[in-house]
Amino acid sequence: MTSFQAELGADEGIAEELAKGQREISIAEFFEKNKHMLGFDSGARGLVTAVKEAVDNALDATEEAGIKPDIYVEITEVGDYYRVVVEDNGPGITKDQVPKIFGKLLYGSRFHAREQNRGQQGIGISAAVLYSQLTSGKPAKITSRTQESNQAEYFELIIDTDTNEPEIRDSEATTWDRTHGTRIELEMEANMRARQQLHQYIKNTAVVNPHARIELREPGLEEPLKFERGTDQLPAETSEIRPHPHGVELGTLIKMVAATESYSVSGFLQEEFTRVGKKTADKVLNSFRDRHFGRELAWPTPATGIDIADAVTKAVSNKGAEATETFAEQIESTLIGRDRTAYSELEELVDEIADDVEADTGRTFGATVRENAVAAAWGELTAFDDDEATNGEEPGRDHLTPGLYGLVDDATSSRKDDETVQALAERLARRADGLGDDGARRFRVTHDDLSALVEAAADATVEYDDVTLGETAREKITDTLWTAARTVPDEVPKITEIEGDRDTASELLEAMRATDILAPPTDCLSPITADLVEAGLRKEYDADFFAAATRDAEVHGGDPFIVEAGIAYGGELQSEGKIDLLRFANRVPLVYQQGACSSTDVVKQIGWRNYGLDQPGGSGLPNGPAVLMIHVASTNVPFTSESKDAIANIPEIEDEIELAIREAARELKSYLNKRRSLEKRQQKQSVLSQILPEMADKVAEVTGQERPNIDAAMGRIMNNLCIDREVDDDTVTLHVENYSDRAETPEITEIVSVEPTDVEGDGANVVDLDGEWFIQWSPSLSAGEETKLTYTVGDDAEFDITVEGVETEKLTLNA
Amino acid sequence: MSTKLNEERAREQLIDLAAEFYDQFAGGEIPHMTLPTRTKSNIEYDPDSGVWVYGDRTSTRSANSVRGARKLLKAVYTIEFLADQLDQGRSSTLRELYYLSESWDNEEAHFSDQDESNQMIEDLEIVSEVTREDFHMRPEESGATLMGPLKLREQTRRGEREIHCQKDVGEGGYQIPNNPDTIEFLDADIDFVLCVETGGMRDRLIENGFDEQYNCLVVHLKGQPARATRRITKRLHDELDLPVVVFCDGDPWSYRIYGSVAYGSIKSAHLSEHLATPEARYVGIQPSDIVEYDLPTDPLADSDINALESELTDPRFQTDYWEEQIELQLDIGKKAEQQSLAANGLDFVTETYLPERLDQMGVL
Repeated sequence: MTSFQAELGADEGIAEELAKGQREISIAEFFEKNKHMLGFDSGARGLVTAVKEAVDNALDATEEAGIKPDIYVEITEVGDYYRVVVEDNGPGITKDQVPKIFGKLLYGSRFHAREQNRGQQGIGISAAVLYSQLTSGKPAKITSRTQESNQAEYFELIIDTDTNEPEIRDSEATTWDRTHGTRIELEMEANMRARQQLHQYIKNTAVVNPHARIELREPGLEEPLKFERGTDQLPAETSEIRPHPHGVELGTLIKMVAATESYSVSGFLQEEFTRVGKKTADKVLNSFRDRHFGRELAWPTPATGIDIADAVTKAVSNKGAEATETFAEQIESTLIGRDRTAYSELEELVDEIADDVEADTGRTFGATVRENAVAAAWGELTAFDDDEATNGEEPGRDHLTPGLYGLVDDATSSRKDDETVQALAERLARRADGLGDDGARRFRVTHDDLSALVEAAADATVEYDDVTLGETAREKITDTLWTAARTVPDEVPKITEIEGDRDTASELLEAMRATDILAPPTDCLSPITADLVEAGLRKEYDADFFAAATRDAEVHGGDPFIVEAGIAYGGELQSEGKIDLLRFANRVPLVYQQGACSSTDVVKQIGWRNYGLDQPGGSGLPNGPAVLMIHVASTNVPFTSESKDAIANIPEIEDEIELAIREAARELKSYLNKRRSLEKRQQKQSVLSQILPEMADKVAEVTGQERPNIDAAMGRIMNNLCIDREVDDDTVTLHVENYSDRAETPEITEIVSVEPTDVEGDGANVVDLDGEWFIQWSPSLSAGEETKLTYTVGDDAEFDITVEGVETEKLTLNA
Repeated sequence: MSTKLNEERAREQLIDLAAEFYDQFAGGEIPHMTLPTRTKSNIEYDPDSGVWVYGDRTSTRSANSVRGARKLLKAVYTIEFLADQLDQGRSSTLRELYYLSESWDNEEAHFSDQDESNQMIEDLEIVSEVTREDFHMRPEESGATLMGPLKLREQTRRGEREIHCQKDVGEGGYQIPNNPDTIEFLDADIDFVLCVETGGMRDRLIENGFDEQYNCLVVHLKGQPARATRRITKRLHDELDLPVVVFCDGDPWSYRIYGSVAYGSIKSAHLSEHLATPEARYVGIQPSDIVEYDLPTDPLADSDINALESELTDPRFQTDYWEEQIELQLDIGKKAEQQSLAANGLDFVTETYLPERLDQMGVL
């Protein structure tokens, strides 16, 4: 570039010279040079990304068709290259679509849809095809069979990087053992250095897609890695939603305006956006009017120095004394009865009165008469002459200053003295009078202009009256004046007018954003749901404890989103080092760039010690045998880059992530607390069960007696539920004593080899099972209570007792 | 009181205690023992005996917790040890008990420090109502001494000895045995008993011949007095009808020494009747002496101030005299040692201070 610039002056044909080198760049070409943006920065990563794109597509396709996904992934070494095969049992792709889907970048069904999907841009799989053809020079091999068809279609295709169009190398009908589905085969330069990430991706996919069956074969595996289905329940179907008014940008709005078939703005809003009905549309329209036309300042009717009836009477001629008087007086009394009146309100009001008087008197009040009357009344209401009183003359009439004084006084609270308020009101009045230069003196002003007007008046007051008027005071005055002003009744511009006018479109957008509108509906989202999050974790992790939470939907930038969190703890999970963090967006595992992800930030700043996990320094990823998963589902997940590895820092999403994690973590906390208390109890029990027998022995030794039975004392100490058996001839008695400090409801089952009779006790129930009798009791014992369960059997009976419904740590069983 | 009978009774009481644990076990109860709470807030004045004894509040050592269970296990082991010791007519020191526990077969029963074993003996004393002397337990060293015109007979392990506490002893005086109940007073020519806190002051009094000059028996307290010292003081007062005065430093810790002589200590309030001499009076150093004699002083440390304030709430010190003195001391913010009297000459204490004070008190 610099060399060209050096010659600038010397050669006038330089622009033409440069123009020769300037040409359109195809998207395919662009990505060829920017592979890293799509996650194909290295051979190792390229392989993972290719598998990821193909599997994501496969899951989307099967779910959309309501089919339980059955996905097969195979990676094999082929000479210097690797071959990736991904098969699904989806609905298949029609013959004419196959080349476009796999051989054209930015071709897809989802980009324009506001619906939760794994893929969004239609780049992924074709980028994988492109990567494969660039590194190996081989075409992608696609086989697809639709449900109706009795044979499959086979294609070999490459992408023409100049035109971003598919180039079919070979195509034929073929047979395939799957009844329907799609198979893609890519050969690429790659390596298996990212084996761990590949496994992690497949495993995590299985966690968040418990309805899917996935099989992975790769050269490093002796046995294929199989992930079986954990549920038959497919994710809820999502429906597409229209954009939310808070989520569009100006460019999008202008495009929508151009494309709409609506004539009015109201119709356009209701037609093209979600959550906009007639009422909301009206609200938006009023807000739009304020921005487009400005509001009209409204004025009170002064008590003195005014004679509206007289002015109106003078302005009306030839209507007869009586009718004129009624007309004029009615206008006057109505105005006096009103707090404040704006010009458009006066027009409307005069019209009404004129109609009434017409009806009563039979006189016709034409448009001209009405106009004259409005002008006369308005002239009185807004009379402004700020001439000082001179010798012998009355001072000029000023009705604007008193009208503003009240508002300024309200806005400035008690801190400003009367003189300041008066001075400010006078300056505002003078400037407001200037607004009347539009001929009709309607005092129309936009919020920005009003704000500027207040600023100017305030600045002058500060300068000449030596007072202070801070930023807040000025804003408050502006707000009070704006609130007291009236929205005009004028018709808003039609869609056709907005279409060609960027400024008006921008005003409409502002109005849309300023209006409170219900959050978008959430049926466009398909959260995994807390139950299945837990099921997914349970399926893939051998842990002691699982918890999951699904938040309600929230909105960011017009896109609804739902955050879910799950925690697995203990069991076979590795207890050394940091916990494992699994991140998901729209059910797709995020394997790379954990450090850049906003969910990681959130996890790090939570105080995990509070929830019973070790966290050195009180921040950062906690330590311990735990897996934490976070799932963000949205119609538009904001990623930090096109390779979709990390969720961007959006405060609304971060807040929800935090709440979801905390919800699940609270359960973890109470589990850990309970576990600790049971551990403590166990420790106590183990120490005491050593000490007390020794003490009993010693006591017996010192007193020279037999060793006493200490079971009851032990049970009492441990607050346990004690069950003792007593056999007296044929009668078996189970003494159940609850020494704990809360009610217990044990389920006691006694298996007896001889048929028992006279079974008594709470909820006694006998079942005969092939010569064994199951006696069941379910007594309920409050703290400190005891009960007896009895039955009679013959001699030689054998019994076997089991107790459920009481933690083993809390049970002392002597039976 | 025959020693043999005492031993028998002590042994019986200990076995009874063990039997109580046995019954608790057998009855399905959690083994426990109840003791009066040994804190300042739980001692009260007994108008009958004129001493301070434990109030009604109790604490329970129960096997309900791991700590409590360990305590009781140790108690049973200690009971066994004491019963055997009494059986064999042996005795041991508190410190020996602590080390001896190491030889017990059960590790859980080993004492973790000597405070714990000392406390165990106190617990057993209270529950069994037998003094540790009758358990044949003695402190490592008492070493407190008597000096003055007293003739006594002591029952030693090596036979009876008759000793005159002025003529038959060296300058060190007569050493009080661990169990002063083995002593019989034979003859005394004493006008009063003077208990002295510090060794330095005791030696000064002896060197100056104060005991001879005033017919006084000088008891060296050696700081906070051992039980034997308090017991013999009590007996001197009761059996020989002698006035007892206490001479200490002028600081809060010394007032406590006086308190334990006169009113009984908080830790051994169960034995107050046995050990305390309510008629004992305080000679000095009083805070008012600091002012009157213009003694050299040290400023009160924070811990001194805390101790003084704590004494103001101590039921034993709630008399007009002590409240006045303690408040005066808090006011002047100073304390003085007995030896500070030497600022007026070595003989000042025997020629001026004590005669003046004892005269005021009506002892001389």
